[in-house]
Amino acid sequence: MNENPLPSVIPDKEWKKIQRMLSKRSLWMIHFCTGCGAMEMPPVMTSRYDMERFGIIPMATPRQADLMLVTGYVATKTLKRIVRVYEQMQDPKYVIAFGSCPINGGIYWDSYNIIKRLDKYIPVDLYIAGCMPRPEAVMDAFLKLMKDIDEGKANGWMRYRKYYDQYKRNQMRIFKRWDE
Amino acid sequence: MKAEDIFKDLELKFENLKVKGNTLPRYKAEVQPDKLEEAIIKFKSNGFNHFVALSCIDWIKDEKFELVYHLFSYEEKEDVFLSIFLPRNEPKYKTLRHLFPQIETYEREIHEMFGVEFEGNDRLGEFILEDWDNMPPMRKDFDTVKYGKEKYESVPLINEGGEKE
Repeated sequence: MNENPLPSVIPDKEWKKIQRMLSKRSLWMIHFCTGCGAMEMPPVMTSRYDMERFGIIPMATPRQADLMLVTGYVATKTLKRIVRVYEQMQDPKYVIAFGSCPINGGIYWDSYNIIKRLDKYIPVDLYIAGCMPRPEAVMDAFLKLMKDIDEGKANGWMRYRKYYDQYKRNQMRIFKRWDE
Repeated sequence: MKAEDIFKDLELKFENLKVKGNTLPRYKAEVQPDKLEEAIIKFKSNGFNHFVALSCIDWIKDEKFELVYHLFSYEEKEDVFLSIFLPRNEPKYKTLRHLFPQIETYEREIHEMFGVEFEGNDRLGEFILEDWDNMPPMRKDFDTVKYGKEKYESVPLINEGGEKE
C-alpha cells in the first residue's frame, strides 16, 4: 500500500494506524444526489453546521473523493451510475447511505423500479435511518465514520474486493447490459 | 375564437367541466380517432396554440385506453380536453408531432409506460426505464408489489466475513 520505504523504527501495524489516523481527518466527499437527502446537505456544508471543521469538503469528481453519500432512493437506472462512480473512486473509499430508502425501500417499498437494499450491490459502511435525517444526524454519522476508520472497522472497500464476484453477480441480476 | 364556437363548427358534443377552485372554463369532448388531427389543427389556428399535455388512462373494465390531448388558449383563457379511445388489446395511433413538436416526448413516455404504439414516431425506444423486462408498468393489470418482490427480494445478501484490516 505504501510505496515509500518505511522508517525502520515504526512497525507495519503501527504505520497503518498512523495512516488511518491521518486519513480520517481529511475525508473528501462526493454526494450522489439521488433523492430528497440532497436538500439536507447545504446546511451541513455551510456555516450553520460547517462540516469543514472535521476536514470534510465536497469534491467534484469521484477520482479525488474518499467518501460517497447516496442521498435517497436508488432506482435501477441510478444504481448503474452509482456503481460506475463507486468503481472510479480510489481505495480506501467509504459509503454512507442516507435515509430509509436505501435500507429497505422506505415509502417506495412496493415500487417496481426501486432497488430495496443498497448493500446487496455495493458495500455500505454506514446507514443513517430517518426520513429524512436531520443535519445533526448527518454530522453524527460523519463522526461515527471517523471513529470507525480510526479503529479499522470501515472496510467496505476491502469487502468489495474480496467478494467482487458476488457483488457483480447481484448487480447483473438487475442490469441487462453494462455498456450504455 | 371561443372554444364553444369551434366545437359547434366541428359538430362535436362537448361538456363543461367544473373544477373546484378553478374559475377558467374547461371543456371536454370525445373525438373519433380519425377526426382528431383535423380538430387539433382547427383549434390551433384559432388561438389554442399551447399544447399542455398528453396523458393516457387505462380503462381496464371497458378494455380501452383513453388518450387526452390538452390544449390551452392564451387569448380566451380556456382549457380544452380532446379525448380519443383506443382498443386495449391493440393500442395503435398515428403520431401528431408535426403539429406540436413536444408531443414526441409525451408519446415516448406513453409508449413506454402503457405500450401504446404511435405510427410515424421513430424515437419510441427506451426512454425513462432502463433494462426493463416485463409488460409496461403503468397498465392496471401489472402487479407492482409482486414484481418488486420477485425481482429485488430474491437477490441474495453478500456473504460477509466482517474481517479487520
